[in-house]
Amino acid sequence: MEIRKLLFVTKFEELCYDALNSLLSLRNAGLEHVIFLNVIERDKVAMKRGSGYLKEEEVKLKETANIRFIDWAENLFEMGMEVGAYIEVASLIPEILRVVKKESPDLIVIGRSHKGTLEQLYAGSDVIELIRRAEVPILVFKHMMEDNIVPEKLFKRPLFATNWSDTGKKTIEYIKGFKNVIGEIHIMHVVKESALKSKDAHEVQKVRKAERKRLDDLCDELEDAGINARPHVYVGEPQKEIEKAAKEYQTSMIILGCSEKAAILERWVGSISKNIADKSVFPCLLIPGEKNI
Amino acid sequence: MSQKVLVVDDDQDVRSFVVTVLEENQYMPLVAQDGIEGLEMIEKEKPDLVILDVLMPRGSGIRLYRKMKTDKDLEKIPIIMFTGIALRSFLKSQKALDEFKGGKVPEPDIYLEKPVEPEELVAAIKKKLG
Repeated sequence: MEIRKLLFVTKFEELCYDALNSLLSLRNAGLEHVIFLNVIERDKVAMKRGSGYLKEEEVKLKETANIRFIDWAENLFEMGMEVGAYIEVASLIPEILRVVKKESPDLIVIGRSHKGTLEQLYAGSDVIELIRRAEVPILVFKHMMEDNIVPEKLFKRPLFATNWSDTGKKTIEYIKGFKNVIGEIHIMHVVKESALKSKDAHEVQKVRKAERKRLDDLCDELEDAGINARPHVYVGEPQKEIEKAAKEYQTSMIILGCSEKAAILERWVGSISKNIADKSVFPCLLIPGEKNI
Repeated sequence: MSQKVLVVDDDQDVRSFVVTVLEENQYMPLVAQDGIEGLEMIEKEKPDLVILDVLMPRGSGIRLYRKMKTDKDLEKIPIIMFTGIALRSFLKSQKALDEFKGGKVPEPDIYLEKPVEPEELVAAIKKKLG
């Protein structure tokens, strides 16, 4: 699948032009159209006792966003790309979904929510809410570590963590669309410790060997599609091990399948994809599964 | 009969401004909110002039401009570019697209960078429509 159109959702503080710039390698994967979306939260311009609706504030915020978008758009236009922009006073997720419906992007890019855990538990994080409701892959952008450095080449060395689900298979097909962008992809599977509970070391090794064989086959499939791939088997708690592997191989981002079932469950037990998207220091590309499960 | 002028702009305030200027000068305004709606209106209404924004959702003015200038039925319709995007960037975009897609599209002969005074807009319209 090619990434022809990208929806870039920004509040400016957390997702700026440097982030967009790091995505422009996607032009080699067919990117030709970028849509900017800035949602001004209603409470910033809401009716206030004594002052009414803050129309002047709305104009100021919209014009500030417009000036930024014009500057960004000029850069992209000059590269021969197509650009569009929306600046709306609205609620974030419904507005993103409205624009997704109008524009049919192939990828949504959004900054990480900085909400605390407790708030997420009650309200649901923006990202998870989006995953639950959008059928479009979502890139949760992060500034790497605390120093706000944006990875220059986001697709240079991604890590794909597979749990062998159907969503994982869909993700592989999606990854193949990046063949002209990805330098080398690391494919990993995390074997849960419970699967290794045996007194016999031979049995444990058999599990590792079987998983490695499946990963090898997957790497062969990707290499046949023109993408260099390296397999890794890890053992332990998936979220921790995925983060560990991402650091060990200095990956540029983490790619995960994300099923609706997991998104529903996450309110109660927490899903691996959600937790990684929220907590990881790495940008995360989340590929939604089929919605009718 | 009044001449028809199509305004293609996603900003409602801008559309209102241009429509007011057009009505005050006895032109018949038509409006579209984005490039796709704009093209539909152009094909349906065959306006005498198009006032075209560049940065818009659902198809930018750059795409619509190129479409019009490469379509035998539409190439003769005069266009006034009316946008916040600098002319320099517009011309660079055309050059990049000429190289990428092949063929050369003529430069717009009237390019107004927002904001403009009503008199400036009227002068541009009259220059095109007389």
